[in-house]
Amino acid sequence: MLHADALTVGYDGVAILPPFRLTIGAGELWAIIGPNGAGKSTFVRTALGLARPIAGTIERRPGLRLAYVPQQSALDTIFPISVIDFVLMGLQGTGNVTLARRSAHLGAARRALEESGAAPFARRQLRDLSGGQRQRVLMARALATDADLICLDEPTSALDAASEQEILTLIERLRRRRGAAVVMVTHLVEVGLELADRALLLDRDHGVALAAPAAAMRSAPEFQHIYGRFVARHGHTG
Amino acid sequence: MNPASWQELWANIAIFKDAIWAAGLAGALLGFIGVHVVLRRMVFASSAIAQAAALGVALSFWVPALIDPIGHAAGHAAGPAAHVLPSPLFEPVLWAIAASLLATLVFIANPVRLHLTRESLLGFVFLVSGAGAVIIGDKITQEAHDLAAILFGSAVVVQTIDLYLVTAATVLLLGGHLVLWRALIFVGYDPMGARVQGMPVRALNGFLFVSVGLAVALCTRALGALPVFAFSVLPAMTALAFTARIGWVFVLATIVGAFSGVAGYAVSFRAELPVGATQTATAAALLAAALLWRLAMAQRDRRRARNQPPPILKSSLPSPPPERASTAAAPRTDAA
Repeated sequence: MLHADALTVGYDGVAILPPFRLTIGAGELWAIIGPNGAGKSTFVRTALGLARPIAGTIERRPGLRLAYVPQQSALDTIFPISVIDFVLMGLQGTGNVTLARRSAHLGAARRALEESGAAPFARRQLRDLSGGQRQRVLMARALATDADLICLDEPTSALDAASEQEILTLIERLRRRRGAAVVMVTHLVEVGLELADRALLLDRDHGVALAAPAAAMRSAPEFQHIYGRFVARHGHTG
Repeated sequence: MNPASWQELWANIAIFKDAIWAAGLAGALLGFIGVHVVLRRMVFASSAIAQAAALGVALSFWVPALIDPIGHAAGHAAGPAAHVLPSPLFEPVLWAIAASLLATLVFIANPVRLHLTRESLLGFVFLVSGAGAVIIGDKITQEAHDLAAILFGSAVVVQTIDLYLVTAATVLLLGGHLVLWRALIFVGYDPMGARVQGMPVRALNGFLFVSVGLAVALCTRALGALPVFAFSVLPAMTALAFTARIGWVFVLATIVGAFSGVAGYAVSFRAELPVGATQTATAAALLAAALLWRLAMAQRDRRRARNQPPPILKSSLPSPPPERASTAAAPRTDAA
């Protein structure tokens, strides 16, 4: 679906991470982990085609449909956007820039809301919802795009424990049902590794860019070096 | 001197109708576009662009006088009717458009590379344009009144050519915005998501910024900088205070803009007040009314929420014993 070879990411022509190689297959769940400022967002922007690689190649399957689920904090609450209008944005894009014949797309938007469990909020304002409800709506828009690869930027940030679990369950369920590849940037290292098939560990400060099966990531020396103390502490506490 | 009556305005409508049409059309156009301006938090931009347009007009007066002072003075000596600019190149509206479009470059530039914010660059454009217009205004005594009219919107009558230009801008730009409003909202609200989905983000933003520049330039030439800034901000704020349905926000902002232009003109005639300032005050009064209404609605909602019984929480915990459950259910039955 997406293959990167000797990929070096960065900005303003300056590499921020060493070269790495990865292949994202259909239906795979990838966890992108690393400390703050590690280069996770830069990688995501490059993978989505929003930034050029500094070096190496990144190949996407022809006709690959992409969707991006932003962080909630990236959406300005001054905009009076209803839930249904937000999900309809998922149906805009190449070939349907203006969303002509809105009513023809309402069915698809409602189905996406049903699938993500956000149908009861359809008429409400996105800004008026709780964090968990809003994240469901964000997921619904990604579903409406019918994308082959969905990229989630910190889908559980600023959520309480119950909402966090709900969203992670939703991601897992939707991935299995839809067969779409999911790339999830997350600060929840343990949960991300537990849920994902594969993981990409990035750390700009230590010059680390390591792609590995999620189950094997914990034993990687680079992971131990970055998260060793944290993981050991959690291991003792349960 | 007694203030003019409504009958007098109606009796002289043939004289004022161009100005009233221009105010209504400009109000509608700027009201619609202003929704994007307010939602994208670039309110100060329309002010800076309007100032730049005014500077452009001032330059169009000053440059011919600088190049050919004798010919320019001779044109004035022959009287206003005989006074023609040396060339269509010095048509004020062209200079206003050029200056406005130059000012819109601020949106395209990446201020982060200069370690600045976009707001500070807009402030720079506003200050340079404002100071430039005043300094040049001091140099061109012949057209100083015309320039003051442009800066403060005190023009009582509008030239026919300006009305035609405002009409053309309203038809073309409003038409484009009506087609693209959903795309522009998506691009403004979630630019990264829009790019990922293949939306032409740069082209859409380019259309918005150029349309703001053109609308502000043409309307500034016809009405003046002050009402143009007011129409591109206040009607959108009024609409956002009244409704949270995005489609209706655009409709309402257009209506409020048009009404502010026409009603403001009529009130200024009736009360013998400066036109642009009265149009601005009219738009501001509508915004104040909308904010009061919004406050009243918020208070009503709070009152209703206080009077409602507390929600019954669904829980996966075991049910309470039967006697306690019936007690807990009693108030709910009463409320129903």
